[in-house]
Amino acid sequence: MRNYLVKRILYSIIIAWGILTVTFILLRVGPSSPVDRYILNIAARGQDIESVKQAIEARYGLDKPIYQQYFDYMGNLLQGNWGWSFSSSVPVMDLIGSHWIYSFQLILLSTIVAILLGIGLGILSAVKQNTRFDYAASIFSFIGISIPGFWLGLMLIMVFGVHLGWFKTYYDTSYPIWSLENLRQLILPVITLSIGELAGYVRYTRSSMLDNMRKEFVTTARAKGLPERVVIGKHVLSNAMLPLVTIIMFDLGSVVFGGAYLTEIVFGIPGLGQVSFNAIFANDYAVVVAVTLIGTFLVLFINLATDILYTYIDPRIRYD
Amino acid sequence: MTESKIPVGKRARLSVYFNKRLAQYYWERLQKNKLSLAGMGFIIFLMLLGIFGPFFTQDPTYSDFNLANIPPLGFSRQESVYDIKTNEFITTVIEGRPDHPLGTDSKGRDMLAMLISGARISLLVGLIATGIAVFIGVVIGVLSAYLGGWVDNVLMRFTDIMMTFPFFLLLVLIVFLFGPSLAIIVLVIGLTGWTGAARLIRSEALSLRTRDFITASRALGASDGRIMFNHLIPNVASLIIVMSTLSIPGVIMSEAALSFIGLGDPMRTSWGTILNAGQHTLDTAWWVAVEPGIMLFLTVLSFNFFGDGLRDAFDPQASI
Repeated sequence: MRNYLVKRILYSIIIAWGILTVTFILLRVGPSSPVDRYILNIAARGQDIESVKQAIEARYGLDKPIYQQYFDYMGNLLQGNWGWSFSSSVPVMDLIGSHWIYSFQLILLSTIVAILLGIGLGILSAVKQNTRFDYAASIFSFIGISIPGFWLGLMLIMVFGVHLGWFKTYYDTSYPIWSLENLRQLILPVITLSIGELAGYVRYTRSSMLDNMRKEFVTTARAKGLPERVVIGKHVLSNAMLPLVTIIMFDLGSVVFGGAYLTEIVFGIPGLGQVSFNAIFANDYAVVVAVTLIGTFLVLFINLATDILYTYIDPRIRYD
Repeated sequence: MTESKIPVGKRARLSVYFNKRLAQYYWERLQKNKLSLAGMGFIIFLMLLGIFGPFFTQDPTYSDFNLANIPPLGFSRQESVYDIKTNEFITTVIEGRPDHPLGTDSKGRDMLAMLISGARISLLVGLIATGIAVFIGVVIGVLSAYLGGWVDNVLMRFTDIMMTFPFFLLLVLIVFLFGPSLAIIVLVIGLTGWTGAARLIRSEALSLRTRDFITASRALGASDGRIMFNHLIPNVASLIIVMSTLSIPGVIMSEAALSFIGLGDPMRTSWGTILNAGQHTLDTAWWVAVEPGIMLFLTVLSFNFFGDGLRDAFDPQASI
């Protein structure tokens, strides 16, 4: 187990390094330069564009050859220096430090809602198979899987924000993070972000439960005279959860990168998705590389955690 | 026995890819799933709309500011204009018009024409990008499973890296750097979206590889290429079809999301582009944001229904 862990962690670091390099090269080889955004200002002030451009490039080391910049960046990174954000004029670390909490809160709440409601509805609809409730849950999950999250967000803003006026149409950052007012304005974003995952979990839980309910150990449990509550809640559920863990963990990665990103943009939540989105448009490569790296590490960590979690859920699995 | 003009080898090769009686059997099974048929019907309708629709509608980019924000047929909208002479607000009611059955947007462009143009773009992007992704996925999956050893190792580690890459961030980054054109969008989605397909095909091909009919054909002296093209790939063909159908919605959503955040091809009108404009007029012209979303939702839903139906039709163990 320990050897396996060491191997996996080393492997994760290599992957992260690869992704870091690709992102860096993509950004620095691309046709636009971080200095471009200053040019309009410079021209407006009537200064000589070329000389100012050279001064800025020299100031940030952008005039060195690409490989030199790459090694400088890597060296700084290893020393814990994540670089400087051109567009916000603060160190990248500070920028991320003040914005990560918004993303974290949104993803955390959405994941909790999706898991609790999704698995709950899935169990109910498996137990009540072929009833009206089951059909309703099926229809709901098909709709939830197919509805584009960002469009649902827009529709929620339109109905509950613009027409009914129950919620603000913009995100107010003046509330403390965990205050009730802030949680209240997160209701619509959490619905938007969790609906796809939730619908998926309903389907997977239902089919996984139904699969296991046909197994012989369930008949045995019933024959022993166990109450239905124990049969379903203990015997079936614990076996049905195993494939669900993979799906949930895998989804977490796509939530971090896809859904949360768009949800933040639609609702104007100043999380890392919004930050990296603005950074891409401003060609602020240090921020983009840093956010990509953090996201990558998160996904690698989730993958590793899933594998370790397995050995606890399913004792048959061992890594040697 | 009648003599056939097709050489025996060629005929055999065609028949492994298309068997009329088998197709008939699958079609009969598919027909039992009404939702799947409905999905197929909508997809065909959408294709016809995309191919022939533009001949019957006006230019989707033609804008007439005198006809801005006309509601869909059967709806009406109130507009208040401040009159300087009388110092009063004059409220006029604007009714939907039969020449713009789905209304117009804030620039006076016809919604119907824009939606039809969007259908064309979405289907094009969905089909071509999925085609690229599935092609790469099949090549990598089959090679990896069949050749095994270090080839398998290298290809699978590469797939792991691609899977860890923050997909949507990469998409935004590349499209921003190399300019938002439809070709770039299709290429990037296709070149990054093959990882799931590669893994699925590999695991299926791995189990096929050890089957007796593969061993038998190898014993008869079949070459690696022959085994792969005549025995392995035909046996995963149904999996490929199902997988392609079910991955089209994701591609269509990715394109819509890109266009929605402002990275769509500026020369084309896609559903995401309309949504991008529509999000600013949620209070005055709700239909601009509602209509493309409904189209997007129905398209994704149809592909999901159709793909699910295909999967059940191809699976001999599934009860229909």
